[in-house]
Order: sequence, then structure tokens, then C-alpha cells
Amino acid sequence: MGFFKDFLQKQQRTDRRIADESAEPQEPSTRSLSDNINYILTAFKRTEDLKVRILKKGEAALLYFESLVDQEKVQLSIFNPVEIGKVDSIHAIPNAKESTNLEEAIKSLLRGHAVYLEEGSRQISLFNVTSVFNRSVEEPANEKVVRGSHDGFVENIMININLLRKRIEHRDLKVKLYKVGKKTNTNVAIIYMEGLADPEIVLNMQKRVETIDSEMIQSPGYVEEFIEDSPWSPFPQMLNTERPDRVVANLMEGRIALFTEGSPTCLVAPATFFMFYQAPDDYNTRWYTGTFIRLIRLASFIIAIGLPAFYIAVVSFHFEVIPDDLITPVKASINEIAYPPVVEALVMVVIIELIREAGIRLPSPVGQTIGIVGGLVIGDAVVRAGLISNIMVIVIALTAIASFVVPSNELSTSLRLLTFPLICLSATLGFVGLIFGFLLITVHLTKLESYGVPYFAPVAPLRLTDLKDTFVRFPIFMMKKRPKDAHPMDYKAMGESREWKKNEQSKKS
Amino acid sequence: MSSQKNLKLSRRQYFFLIIQSQIGVGIIALPFDLHSAAKQDGWISLLMAGMLITVLMFFLWLLAKKYPDKDYFQIQEYVLSRWGGKAFSVLYIGYFACVGILILLLYSRMISLWVLPNTPYWILSLMMVAICIYIVCGDIIIMGRLYTMFSGFLIFMVGLILYSGKDSKLIYLFPIAADGWGGIFAGIDKGIISFLGFILALVVYSVVDGNSKDKLKTIIYAQLTVLFFYLSIVFVTFTFFSTKEIALVSEPVLYMLKSYQFPIVARIDLFFISMWMIFVTTSLSTYLYMAGLGTRRVLQKKNNPFIILLVGALFYLLSLFIGFDIAKLEKFSNFVVKGGYIFSMGLPLLILFISLFRKSPKKENAV
Repeated sequence: MGFFKDFLQKQQRTDRRIADESAEPQEPSTRSLSDNINYILTAFKRTEDLKVRILKKGEAALLYFESLVDQEKVQLSIFNPVEIGKVDSIHAIPNAKESTNLEEAIKSLLRGHAVYLEEGSRQISLFNVTSVFNRSVEEPANEKVVRGSHDGFVENIMININLLRKRIEHRDLKVKLYKVGKKTNTNVAIIYMEGLADPEIVLNMQKRVETIDSEMIQSPGYVEEFIEDSPWSPFPQMLNTERPDRVVANLMEGRIALFTEGSPTCLVAPATFFMFYQAPDDYNTRWYTGTFIRLIRLASFIIAIGLPAFYIAVVSFHFEVIPDDLITPVKASINEIAYPPVVEALVMVVIIELIREAGIRLPSPVGQTIGIVGGLVIGDAVVRAGLISNIMVIVIALTAIASFVVPSNELSTSLRLLTFPLICLSATLGFVGLIFGFLLITVHLTKLESYGVPYFAPVAPLRLTDLKDTFVRFPIFMMKKRPKDAHPMDYKAMGESREWKKNEQSKKS
Repeated sequence: MSSQKNLKLSRRQYFFLIIQSQIGVGIIALPFDLHSAAKQDGWISLLMAGMLITVLMFFLWLLAKKYPDKDYFQIQEYVLSRWGGKAFSVLYIGYFACVGILILLLYSRMISLWVLPNTPYWILSLMMVAICIYIVCGDIIIMGRLYTMFSGFLIFMVGLILYSGKDSKLIYLFPIAADGWGGIFAGIDKGIISFLGFILALVVYSVVDGNSKDKLKTIIYAQLTVLFFYLSIVFVTFTFFSTKEIALVSEPVLYMLKSYQFPIVARIDLFFISMWMIFVTTSLSTYLYMAGLGTRRVLQKKNNPFIILLVGALFYLLSLFIGFDIAKLEKFSNFVVKGGYIFSMGLPLLILFISLFRKSPKKENAV
């Protein structure tokens, strides 16, 4: 059965590919100017921003989208050469692309090119006069660092690749461009280091991108759902980042980056769970500090998903876990509350989520007000009104802060989502439920794969040398090998970089 | 994903698989059981049981080494002819199911006694079975990875137990062998029960990477680690409680931990029992895996989550017949322990004996 299914699918796939190739339309231009113009105009459904400029007293025409081209460029590259007298006709301008295919002209018009046609000639000249609007390569607002580079990706895919090429001046950096989305024709770029990235993974990624059969591609988040391994998992399986330095570091570990036109976010695969906890800042500070911060971040993972559940388990099932001196204050704060701890926790978590969501959507001055009103006023009033105990407010506030510590927004949201099932489990079964919840999450993390690479590496499967850059950050010169989880073709990342020290010592003796 | 399918277990994973399969439900009541048979000499019984098992493992290794690319069920089919082997495999599936059910029952009873007295049996066991099915539905390699990761908790457990060692009084261990060796030999019986998961070493032998000598080393090291872990528990509890006291506490480890209170946290026994749950999960998963593997071999199906689900549901439904009923549990437990001798020792040795008269499948494969 399986064989038949495979066979049928393969048949279909090849069929479609052939269909796609044959669908590449060919329409030879004619010698009649008006026929050519008519063909183009009907192709564009007589849209009114397509400008037709009649030249040479009706003998020639220049077509372009007013909304796509830069008028100055039109002047500079088409009319100036003729005016100066370098060339006799527009057809003779050397930087034009020649063609006799009207369909090609239509495609390039959409790209922002200008098309020049003449009566009595089948020749079509295409000029690249696209206007581009770019913001500057500013630091992304959600991935700020204290020290290190302060530039970030922008919406233009070429500028993004430029940022990478400037950082990796090597011939192995390979870019593959795809057009995805049948109607939107979005540029998608897959970038990797040839000879470093696992060809199997690259092939896998290409295959997945090629099979996307959608009319529209919006953003990397859109692409991600098409090409990730387990769409039902709560954990993100590709790293989202807007920082060139982060992408470069990942490329040099043998991972693959994916860009889409129109979005500054880059997807990196294969990703592991602990990649989401590494920030470029770790490598810019002294390694003690880097280690300390990273440990805090990982502790925040435990706090973010487990603290409210743990607290609820303690106060509703295992009061005896609290040491004697602490029992009185805890009990006193809970005694007055009418609701069971689960309800308290759920209400508080929902309030925090409301404040957060409201704060994002509103302009920043109002957002701050919301923060103050929501956080301080509601928090204080809710305790005074006796609706929620003050310890619960502490617990939930701590949880919210801990969930924001994650350097990746995707993981942070998944973590906040995971709190709910854990709260419910611990409210029904206490510690036993909590353990079941944690077991479920760890088993899931262990089973999860990103492009055939274990997601929870290097903890499961355990690889001791890769732990150097997981919970702690060892000095950089000690990380001589690339992490195994990316399946790099070449494990050696550096040689002996502090040889000078040995040389000095041997000189002294 | 295809690249992951044919991966073999590393020896480190093999090591932790063996450890995690053995350390399980038994550890909480182990000192009590040993004591009821051998009084203060229980640790000698445990030591002897551990040695005995280690020797036995050597024989199992001899058997596995002879057929390095077959798992235990395939060896049976090869050695005992097709239908003989299948009959044996069915018996084994039954045995593994019984052990699994026993683990489920003992675990639920312990949780009910110590943590959640009002929760009905079916909820506690259902969650446990569900987690185990989820674990086993992956490959053995996933189990290897998980068990390796979970072994980190072993450090915490040893830490907690060794901490309690500060109040130990060695005098409780004396006099040694005062009542003669009869009690000590009776205690071996109790000791062996806690090691019974070792059959996994034989079942998964064929999917482990490395040559047979290294594998033997791994098996022996794992066995010694488990023995050391058990010994530390038994030593500490035997020296913490006097000979008379220990006869009164059926879960000495928990009672011992219960007596401590740290400034930030009290009732360490609750944390211990939470960690212990993880070890119960792993050992139950092992039996579920072995029963599932046996079923697959008998039915000659490929890796199919449906079979695991079926076997898991079987575990669960059968265990409902006993539930919290102590009298039935005792009977069942005795029955399973007797079966342990037959299936974990008798039959493998028998198969080894028969295999001596059959020629190896291919000489060059036997390393």
C-alpha cells in the first residue's frame, strides 16, 4: 500500500513540476507597436498606474508602473544618454536588457522595470529603474544588546544578504533564491555555508520550500508553518532573529538561514531548545558574566513554567512542605481569600496577559500608562479587596518577568502557554500532577526534532563537550569544536588560538 | 527523520537504560524487605544478590554475544525453532505484562499512601500508563536519550540519602550474622527482586553500538552502579533506624527523610517520592517496551504505535482488577516474583544451554 501511495504521489509531483515549467508563457512580440502595447495593457487589466509615454511622435513608447519606478532613474538611464548624444536611439543604450518575449516584459514591468517599444521592430528593451524604499539597518527593538553590533535586518532581502556577506567574506557562503507564493511571487532565500552545512539538511529544506503550494507568502512565520517538522508542538522549531551577528554565528555552526522578501525576520534551522537561550550578549561580556546570565536565563525557564504550578500544589495539597516559620505568614495571606488558589492563579495570569497585549498594541506613552495602571493599581487593589492573596501576586509577577527573560519572543509565548496545563495538573493532583506535567514536557522535548536533528541536544542525547556552550559559556578559545547538533561537515572551529602564551613561556625559560 | 531511524544506542545510553530499568518501585521498601528476611545482615544478602546477578549477566552476555544482530525474541525463535520460540515469546510477553502491572499497582499504592490518599486508583495508573505509552511510542533511541537525561536525578537522590547518613550509627549493623546464615540466604531472594530489570540488557543488546567486550564492560559497570546505589540506601537506613525500629516502618527511606527539615523546605520525603516517580516511569516504560517488542515480533509487524497503545491499555485494564486491594496485591506480587526466577534466570540459561548445541548463524558476525 505504502509503495502505491508513494508512487502515486511521486507521479503527481512530477506532473505538477512539468505543468509549472510549461506554464512559463511565451508570447513573441509583433512588429506593430499598438498590438504590443495592447497586449501588455490587457495583461494588466488596464490598470491606471501603468504609464504609457508616447515618444518619437507616436513611433515609440515607454511603459512603466508609475508606482514602482523612480522618475530620476528613468531620466538618468534612459533619456540622458540620448540627450547627451552618446547613442542614437533608446534601443542602443548598452545597459538595457533585450528581449522579444512580451511575457518577459510583463514580468519585468512588475519588478519595476521600464519597457521600451518601437514601431516596426520586435525588439523590446528593458531598463532597471526600480525605486526602493528602505529604512536604515537599525537595531531590532526586541533583540537589543548592551554591547556588540547594533544593526539589524530590514525588509529588503538584498540588503539583508549584503549584511551577511559583509560579515562572512568567503566564497563558501551560498545563496539560493526561490519564488514562493503563486500570486505574490515572494523572494525567498536559503543561505548556508557550503561544505559546512549538512547537505542532507539543505536538500531537505529546499524540498520543503519547493513544495509550498500557496497563493500568498507573507512572512517567515508563514513559511515556518509550512516547513517545520511538528506543527502541533508548542515549541518553535526554527529560530527567529533579526540580528545579523546571530545569523552569522549560526551559519558558521553549519546551520541554514531562510529569508523572505518584505520581512526583517530570519529563520534559522535546525534549531535546538538551548539556542533560544543564547544571546549575542553572552559572547561580548566576560565569560563569568556570560555564564551567570545564562544560568539565570535557564532558571527563568523553570520559574516561568513551573512556579505557579508549584505554589498551587504546595498551598492546596502539600502545606507540610513549607517550613514551620513560614507557615503562619503564608496561611494568613491565604485564609482571607474566598477563591481556591487555582482560580486566583488563573485570574492573575489572564490579567497579566491582558496588560501585556494591551501594552503592545498601544502607542508607547499610553502603553506605559497601561503598565502602571494595570500592574500597580490593579495589583494593589486586588490584594486589598481580598480577591487574591499577596503571595499569589508575587508568584505570578515573578512568573511573568521570568517568561520575558527568554531572548526569543516565540519561546517566551510558548512558555506562557505551557503554564496553564501545568497549573491545572498541579491543582488536581498536587506534586504528582506537576511531575507528570514535567515528564510530559521533557519527553516531548526529547522526541521533538528539527530537520532530523534532536531538539533537546546536547542534553538529550547527552554530549558533554557541547555543554560548554549550553548552561554555561566557557571561554571562547576553549570551544574548539562546533556543536554536534547542527551536523556540521567539519567539526573543527578553531585551532590553538592562544599559542602565543606558550611561546612566551618557553622564551622565558 | 530518516537519518535518526537507524541510529544505534551508544554505550552510555545502554548503561543508563540498564540502570533506569532496575532502579524503580522497589527502592523505597527495599530495606524493609531485606530486613524482614535477614535482620541487620540484609546488606550482606543484597551484596550477595548483586554478585549473583552480575555473574548471571555474564551468562546472558554469552547468549547475546552469540547472536549479535538478533534481539532476544529473535534469538528464541532461532534457537527454539519458529513456533517454539513464538510460544516462549508469548510467555515472556505475559511475564513482562505482569511485572508492568505489578509496578503500576505498587506505585499507585505508594502514592495513595503517602501523597494523595483520596485519589482513586484509576486516575493515578491512567496517567502513568499514558506517559509510558508516550515514551515508548518513540524509538528505543528516544528512550535511551530520556533515561540518560533522567539519570541526573540519581545524583539528587544519592545526595539526599547520603545527607541522612550524618545521623547513622554503625552499631546498628552489629552483630553480624548473629542468627546464622539462614536468614542471609533468605534475604538474597528479596535482594534479587530489586535487580530484575536486568533482562533489558539482553533484549536490547543487538541495537547497541560497539564490540561485545565493551558491551560486557558497560553491563558490569551498570550492574555495579545499581548495586552501589542500593547498598548506599540500605546502609544508611539500616544505620539510621535500629533493628527494632525498622521492623515497624514499611518505607524506611521516606520515614528517614521525613525527619529532616531544612530552613527553606520541609518534608523532603515528598520531593524524594516525586523523583522516585520518574524512576518508576522509566522502569514501567522498559517493561512496556519489552512487551511491545515481543508482541511485534510475534505478530511480525514493524514498529507500530498502535501495538504499544494496545499493550499499554492491556496493562492498565488488567491492573484495574486488583487496584488497591492489598490481599490480592500480595498474592500477585508473590506470583510475579516466582515468575522472575523462571523468566529472568531459568529460561535465558536454558536457551543458552540449548544454543550450545546449535551452530552460530554466521561465524564472521560473532566478533
